[in-house]
Amino acid sequence: MIWNVILFVLMGWVIVMAFITPAPQQVIGEASRIFYFHVPQAWVAVVGFVVSMVASINYLRRGRLTDDDRARVAAELGFVFCLLATVSGSIFAKVTWNSYWNWDPRETSILFLLLIYGAYFALRSALTGDEKRARLAAVYSIFAFITVPFLVFVVPRVLPSLHPSDSVVDSAGQFSMSGTTAMIFFPALVAFSLLFFRLYILGVRISILKRRRIEESQL
Amino acid sequence: MTSNYTVMTVTLLVWLVIFIYLIRLEGKVKKLEEEK
Repeated sequence: MIWNVILFVLMGWVIVMAFITPAPQQVIGEASRIFYFHVPQAWVAVVGFVVSMVASINYLRRGRLTDDDRARVAAELGFVFCLLATVSGSIFAKVTWNSYWNWDPRETSILFLLLIYGAYFALRSALTGDEKRARLAAVYSIFAFITVPFLVFVVPRVLPSLHPSDSVVDSAGQFSMSGTTAMIFFPALVAFSLLFFRLYILGVRISILKRRRIEESQL
Repeated sequence: MTSNYTVMTVTLLVWLVIFIYLIRLEGKVKKLEEEK
């Protein structure tokens, strides 16, 4: 209950402050307000893929199907937030670069990420048998995660890109955010992370209920 | 600035709908868990 109250208030704060304070990037203008939502969405997508990988390792170590449920739910949420980050980034691209899609390294790398995790769900749905599906999906999830740091953090910084890269730290590695921006951005990170974990816990509980129901019907 | 307030209001409404859905879903899951 307390977490729901914190989540509701924090997200409300972020939404109100994101629109009543000056835009975080004066050069880009009003469109830069998307920063308060787009970056936390991308952050939560990475969190989702990390949780999925950890749960997959746990499944391979312990062989409990609950860990497979955890891995699937986390990957699903990571995928949804990755999709949201892609859509919000695409809207930003239309406003600033006059095109929804430019094959910029950042756009291309996030598309690869979506395809990699899309293949994870395709793999899961193509396999029959809980144990076999869980084992193969766990191995795939671990290998899929290896690409995440490269596609999210390395590739867009190595290749020349139009994507703003000095919003949080500048090219010299110094913290470049103003006080007002930080006052909205960090609560946004916390709010989106809280939302992720609320959805994750709920998703796992539903999966456990579903599994119990299937087991009961087989008795 | 007026358009900012419009977008803010719409975003708040969307958040409210998502939040209410989340709470209701949580309630249903809790009820199903207690039935077991």
